[in-house]
Amino acid sequence: MSEETAVGTTDAPITSQADFATTPAHQQGNEALAIAIGVAGWLVPGLGHALQKMWGRALGCFLTVGALVFLGVGMRGNVFSSDGGDAFGMLGYVADLGTGSFYFAARALETQGSDVAHAEGDYGTRFLAAAGVLNLLAALHAYEAARGRKA
Amino acid sequence: MIATIGFTLTHFQAMTLFALLISVAFGFLSRRRTSDRVKYIIWSLFLFLLIGVGIGWAMYPFSR
Repeated sequence: MSEETAVGTTDAPITSQADFATTPAHQQGNEALAIAIGVAGWLVPGLGHALQKMWGRALGCFLTVGALVFLGVGMRGNVFSSDGGDAFGMLGYVADLGTGSFYFAARALETQGSDVAHAEGDYGTRFLAAAGVLNLLAALHAYEAARGRKA
Repeated sequence: MIATIGFTLTHFQAMTLFALLISVAFGFLSRRRTSDRVKYIIWSLFLFLLIGVGIGWAMYPFSR
């Protein structure tokens, strides 16, 4: 766990659409694979890194995002839905949706609804939003690692 | 069920938990070696708490 590297990322990165059009097929395949890894990392926190055998990062992402969602739901934070109404509700929805499959787990588990009248519920809302944004960051990191830009 | 358990945390406990989880995630994402990760996590957690408590103290005169 002390050293982690991306696999299959020794080729030069594709930096623009023009480069993408003129790159060999195997590099375009790498780009498609990188996108698939990014999407997988969004859907299941840590999966993007696990697919690249970055076990420490995969476990770290899964546990931290999972813990934030667990605590957010337990504190009865607001799990936003698509019919939030105003712009802030929509922003909250996008942030919550960043947790991928955990968003649906949070909605299913919060049977009593949110309680933002108290500080715990307000903190829970922030925990859930932070989990989503953190997972999006992790998915982007997995995508970049798959492209060979950083690991 | 999780929702039936519920958590009742103080402001400081919530802030500390949040800071710890975010620090761990940042440490794992930004550092490769375990020793570097531990250093980063401790330093990041310390700064989270220091700045959080500092902002709390700065807002104290306006709380009443």
